[in-house]
Amino acid sequence: MRQSKPSFSFNWRKTAESKLFFPIVALALILLFDLIIIPNFFRISFQQGHLYGNLIDILRNSTPVIALSIGMTLVIATGGVDLSVGAIMAIVSSVAALMMNPFVLGTQLQGIVNDPTYSYSPFWLVLVVPVIVATICGLWNGLLVSYGKIQPMVATLILMISGRGIALLITNSQRIVIVYEPFTYIGQGWLILPFSLYIVAALFALTWLITRRTSIGLFIESVGVNARSSLFSGIDEKKIKLFAYAFCGFCAGIAGLIGTSYISTSDATNVGLNLELDTILAVVIGGTLLGTGGRFSLMGSVIGALVMQAVSTSMYAIGVSANSLLAVKGVVVILIILLYSQQVQDFIRKITGQTRLKETKS
Amino acid sequence: MRQNLITFVDKKRQMLPLLAAIILFIFAYTIGAVYLPGLRDTQTFLNLFNQTPYLLVAVIGETLVVLSGGIDLSVGGIVALVATASAALIRIGWNPWAVILLMLAIGTAMGAIMGYCITYLKVQPFIATLAGMWIGRGLAYTISNESVAINDRTYELLSRIKILIPGLSDVVTQRGAYITISVVVAMTLFAMVIYITHFTRFGRTIYAMGGNNGANEQSARLMGLPVDRTKVLVYTFNGFCSALAGILLSIYTGSGHGMYGSALELTVIAAVVIGGTALTGGEGYVFGAVFGVLITILIQTMILIQGTLISWWTLIMIGVITLFFIGVQAFFSNLKIGQASGDKASRAKRYRQMLSYGGGALAVVVLSLLAINLLSKPDTTTADCELKPFRRDQAASLIKDGAVITYERNGGRNCIDELYAVYPDGRITGDNGVQQIEKQVTPEEVEQLLSFINELGWYTDTMYSTSHLPCGVCYQYFTTVVYQGQEKTVEAVNGGTDAPAEYWVVTGRFLTFLPEFTP
Repeated sequence: MRQSKPSFSFNWRKTAESKLFFPIVALALILLFDLIIIPNFFRISFQQGHLYGNLIDILRNSTPVIALSIGMTLVIATGGVDLSVGAIMAIVSSVAALMMNPFVLGTQLQGIVNDPTYSYSPFWLVLVVPVIVATICGLWNGLLVSYGKIQPMVATLILMISGRGIALLITNSQRIVIVYEPFTYIGQGWLILPFSLYIVAALFALTWLITRRTSIGLFIESVGVNARSSLFSGIDEKKIKLFAYAFCGFCAGIAGLIGTSYISTSDATNVGLNLELDTILAVVIGGTLLGTGGRFSLMGSVIGALVMQAVSTSMYAIGVSANSLLAVKGVVVILIILLYSQQVQDFIRKITGQTRLKETKS
Repeated sequence: MRQNLITFVDKKRQMLPLLAAIILFIFAYTIGAVYLPGLRDTQTFLNLFNQTPYLLVAVIGETLVVLSGGIDLSVGGIVALVATASAALIRIGWNPWAVILLMLAIGTAMGAIMGYCITYLKVQPFIATLAGMWIGRGLAYTISNESVAINDRTYELLSRIKILIPGLSDVVTQRGAYITISVVVAMTLFAMVIYITHFTRFGRTIYAMGGNNGANEQSARLMGLPVDRTKVLVYTFNGFCSALAGILLSIYTGSGHGMYGSALELTVIAAVVIGGTALTGGEGYVFGAVFGVLITILIQTMILIQGTLISWWTLIMIGVITLFFIGVQAFFSNLKIGQASGDKASRAKRYRQMLSYGGGALAVVVLSLLAINLLSKPDTTTADCELKPFRRDQAASLIKDGAVITYERNGGRNCIDELYAVYPDGRITGDNGVQQIEKQVTPEEVEQLLSFINELGWYTDTMYSTSHLPCGVCYQYFTTVVYQGQEKTVEAVNGGTDAPAEYWVVTGRFLTFLPEFTP
């Protein structure tokens, strides 16, 4: 092996091996494409105290996926996967709408439903109860995986299949329109930047603190790398997994609130549809290994979510229809995943290694 | 005795999830037939097959992938692409057989590409096939955003030809129990795949690869089995199966749309699990696939016939049953671990643990069945009403009185029984047993309607009677049309697919033409 010598020049090799290198390259490639193809893609204007522009749109539309991918990162790091997050979002949507407006159950309301200041339950309950329900859904997944010893993909598949049915049952298969202003502010409000952005920023900070300032993050990685050896070194593998799934449910709850507020309706068939797939890809792009688990990068997952949304936004901007977008997304995903494949990684390492070699020689 | 039972369980352990599926199907069908008279009809039973050859084909392919230790999510995407593309190509005048061959080639190629990515580029099966699903569905929508109808004689024949069951049908009148050509295609494939999996090297390699969290794949490789080649072939074969499923679906629906097969991958994977195949791979039987499909469809049919439950219960029930079968599988795989390690005491403990898991899963199923019963109670208005027979004599006398069209619709949620008559002078009468209504249109409009019905082929073989006991919320129709000296009566039941599509065009036209009863 060649000894690596300390170098004063910019260390290419270290950069290329960083977890964030590939997600950032992917994002940069897509933005570069936008810069060339779409005029004024980067223009940001300031109107009525808000920032507007394509970049802001990307940030705003990606908030549910960012929230989901934060939770999903932990689950994937334990070596699992959670397919049910989209269905949990639908359940959250139904519960929240029902709490504000339970007329579908035949409840007599004391106020006018179309009044934007009226809600059947107090606002804090409308926020807390759906998130608790989502966390319980996550706990259920976690119980099946850790104590039931069922494969994660199968265990969460059950809730993925039946979750939307349950969500429709909750609202008696009706769409409930939400006009309650404090609730719609979650997804539609602006404080210079979109309000939902602050929520996911807070969630990110909380998760970062939990995983990087306590030993939980280390435990999760250890369980992912080798569950058996972590058990022998005294880590309760089952409880760690349970925590990861419950936390993923919690994140899905927050994403569900944002998603519901964004469209002002409890639409159990469409809220969070296919988002579990976007989320898993976001985490994979972020450099956390699907299937094997282990080292994870929260920031990588957030950038991954931005990559997914940037693809969608730029395709919309060049006039690709929403349905055809899926095909483009599929191709982009294949390209990005190929970028991650061992062959390409080796190739890049070779190039960057040689660059460094030349630098040190000269 | 107990010892014998345990020995039996140990020896036939792999068979048991399959047995559980078969028993559950028979049990559910018996229970269903006791409570829902609609299920006792022979044709309803055969319709379980007639409605879903495409599902069976997709499940067969997926079972092989799952047995080899992988997973394929691209089924729904390929189905949508094939259905839409074939409809679009036939519309611009391609030969239908050429289209079918081309579509099979496309599906196979997509499967091969995904298999290549998974095997040689080491992309996770989940991600590679997910991209395949998106590409398929996206391309389908790119071809057409709307539903594309297939107006082709070959496709029509393929969907219409009934293979009558000897002894249960009458050859002369073409009525009685039958299956469609698609069922024969699916069953042939089914038999072929059973042969391939159990009697060829390829099949044994598939079994050797799957299971044990990928460790078995390594062992198979070390034994010198062609793991890589088999893996690519398995995904290629599933691509072929998905394409065939897409063609069968487009024959069945007579159209193609990008939305077809949405969430199909979920149903397919659930059916694979219900059919007794372990999702870890290596254990299970292709034979179970047919029961996985039958149970899924039986739930759907029962919920449709029962009539008061919303269709979303299907998904919930499939979820619950999947959970039950995963419980059964966990039970038996734990049994294996219990065998490997250990003394009697820990084995007994494990048995108890497993029994409690199994019991818990069973309790969930029973509780949810009870919950369904309780939930459906409040809506009793539909359960009491009784399907009345057609008023054939009354219709005949109306025709004798000079009516050119009589149209009777009965059944449905509230068991209505409406009989309409249209006269050449533009008078339309309606009678639902309680009230009589009347409407006047111009004679030209009546003439227009009659020639429209005639052009649709009312007096040709295109229109034929199909009649059996309708499901709970379905209607049955009895229509007689007299035009230019010809008279023909066609009976039909909706909710199934047996009636010709043109018939529904006619009834749809009636809906706008006839007066409405005030409830």
